[in-house]
Amino acid sequence: MRVGIFKFSSCDGCQLSFINLSGELAELENFSIDYFLEGQSVNNYEYFDFSFVEGSVSTTEEIERIKDIRERSKVLVGIGACAVSGGVQSIRNFRNIDDIKTVYNTVDITKNVLENALPISQVVKVDFEIRGCPVSTDVVKDFINSILIGKSPHNYNYPVCLECKRRGNICLLVLNKPCLGPITTAGCNALCPSVNRGCYGCFGPYKDANIEAFYNLFKEKGWGIRDFIENSLNPYNHLFVEKLWKQNL
Amino acid sequence: MEAKPLTRVEGEGTLKLILKDDLVQDVVLNIFEPPRFFESILKGKRFEVIPDITARICGICPVAYQMSGIQAVESVFNVKVSKEVEDLRRLFYYGEWIHSHAIHVFFMHLPDFLGLSSFFEFLKLNPDLSKKALFIKQTGRKILEVIGGRDVHPVTVCVGGFTHFPKDEEIKSLIPSLEKSYDYSLEILDFLSTLNFPQHLLPEDILFVSLKEEDHYPILKGKIYLSTGVGLDKDEFLKYFYEFEKPHSTAKYSKTKDGKTYIVGPIARFNNSFDNLTENSKKIALKYGVKPVERNMSKTIIVRVIEILDSIERSIELINLYQKNSLKNEKYEVSEGEGTGVSEAPRGILWHYYKINSNGLIEKANIIPPTSQNQSVMEELLRKNLTNKELKDESTLISYGEYIVRDFDPCISCATHFLKIDKLNLDNR
Repeated sequence: MRVGIFKFSSCDGCQLSFINLSGELAELENFSIDYFLEGQSVNNYEYFDFSFVEGSVSTTEEIERIKDIRERSKVLVGIGACAVSGGVQSIRNFRNIDDIKTVYNTVDITKNVLENALPISQVVKVDFEIRGCPVSTDVVKDFINSILIGKSPHNYNYPVCLECKRRGNICLLVLNKPCLGPITTAGCNALCPSVNRGCYGCFGPYKDANIEAFYNLFKEKGWGIRDFIENSLNPYNHLFVEKLWKQNL
Repeated sequence: MEAKPLTRVEGEGTLKLILKDDLVQDVVLNIFEPPRFFESILKGKRFEVIPDITARICGICPVAYQMSGIQAVESVFNVKVSKEVEDLRRLFYYGEWIHSHAIHVFFMHLPDFLGLSSFFEFLKLNPDLSKKALFIKQTGRKILEVIGGRDVHPVTVCVGGFTHFPKDEEIKSLIPSLEKSYDYSLEILDFLSTLNFPQHLLPEDILFVSLKEEDHYPILKGKIYLSTGVGLDKDEFLKYFYEFEKPHSTAKYSKTKDGKTYIVGPIARFNNSFDNLTENSKKIALKYGVKPVERNMSKTIIVRVIEILDSIERSIELINLYQKNSLKNEKYEVSEGEGTGVSEAPRGILWHYYKINSNGLIEKANIIPPTSQNQSVMEELLRKNLTNKELKDESTLISYGEYIVRDFDPCISCATHFLKIDKLNLDNR
């Protein structure tokens, strides 16, 4: 199996899962990492059975690059919030791009920057997505195990709440603490609620989330959902904001 | 002070060689990682997002961003955390140093000394030592997970302390792996001492810039110390240093106000604060042939392992003192004002500035990461070593340039192959 690991606009944090797994990966017989700039200096950019892509598409060059990778890849997997939904870069999608660009004085530097930081699925067809900011190394390991034995990867389409219950946490909402667990995709093993912090949604919304009920709960509690979103999940999930904004909050 | 650009900290770039008759005339380091505009996207958000959003600048050193960031906010609100909270932050940060240094030493730097493409090849060549290397990395990761919830973008840092304090037994359980990692690091040093160290010498007049802490090798806070003997308060950073743009780079450059090139990172810390290493670390450094003033950048691989050893020793001390019930978060009230924070990221000093209004919203942000501060000296060293070299064999020249860049552990070295030769032939212009 020929594998490529690619980076677009991102922090490199999701690729670290492959570094974390390097000992195990090296022992696999049918797993050849042909392309991985972060990990090796000799790379072979030809054809890939599996391409793992970290990062969002945020410049005109990146549009061309992801299209080319798609053409060379049998299966394309987006890893992490940036690839899946734009990630932290996508905060600018809800702002005026000219204001955003004031970071640089030299206009030239930003001329190829797209107004919106895009999930890769908005540019090319994506076969699988692994959620998280960052992805969990255990989930990536499980994904690789699954494809190696030809089984479909675990589907995390259920909320963080299930993982919270499994860990025996007391529900933070019951304790009157804002938490996005009920509408957020699982996979983090209820990380934040287990350390006394409301989930801030870095794995993105889960598909069948009952957003209306969640919104009503926030209203009942007297919490401003718009503020909460602006200051929590917005950074990690363009998807989330779009989904919630549509509810006319 | 005004909001200044956040520069790229990792990713992609090229090395542009300017040639005449196949001789290198000049070198331009070209970083074109897409800009991510962190300082702009922070504007208008509440101060609480700082540890979460700025961590996302770098997946390899998120704790550094959280530590400098939270220090800046605590300065604005006039919060002074307790000694116990500070110690826990220190231990947390040591976890990141161990983890990040292990990644750089083994995955980025070591293959250059052995003529290998990657750590994956080293795993096949020397499975015993490479598994020990992975164990050291994993030990750093474990500290991050126990204190921060996860290794990349941890979630527990907040103004005044932490959202959660680990149980005593969770913290104490880290000791056996730390002790093992200490022994493994010594074995790694034995192995490293058999290698050849090319002379990648820094210029004689270079300034070493790092923090100074009283009783420790610097990591969490302190005065900004220049090797000329000047010590600056964190608020004075912009009085002595300035950032500037060059059209070929989305990462910014930094120099001192009087135009001097400086360097941050392990070599600067080592040269400025050798005396603050533990007695054991000092002895080990001397045994393995590094002492101040070290100017050979290829020896930073040794210095990083010394820093791992020092971090392990200090971590064990802190763990022995740890008592969950002595920890308490500091209360605070939101107030308007400006504040700065500075700490030693694994690759050098990382400075933050924020202006926060009375509603707790960020009005201005300025973040100066270590890689942009080192960009000038990196380019100078490349120029010094590559100018007048003959372009007979492209790949040798590329590897040589990459080697020098990796000495610095720039976040951009995340792309180990980031130097593609872009030939600009003067003859054809």
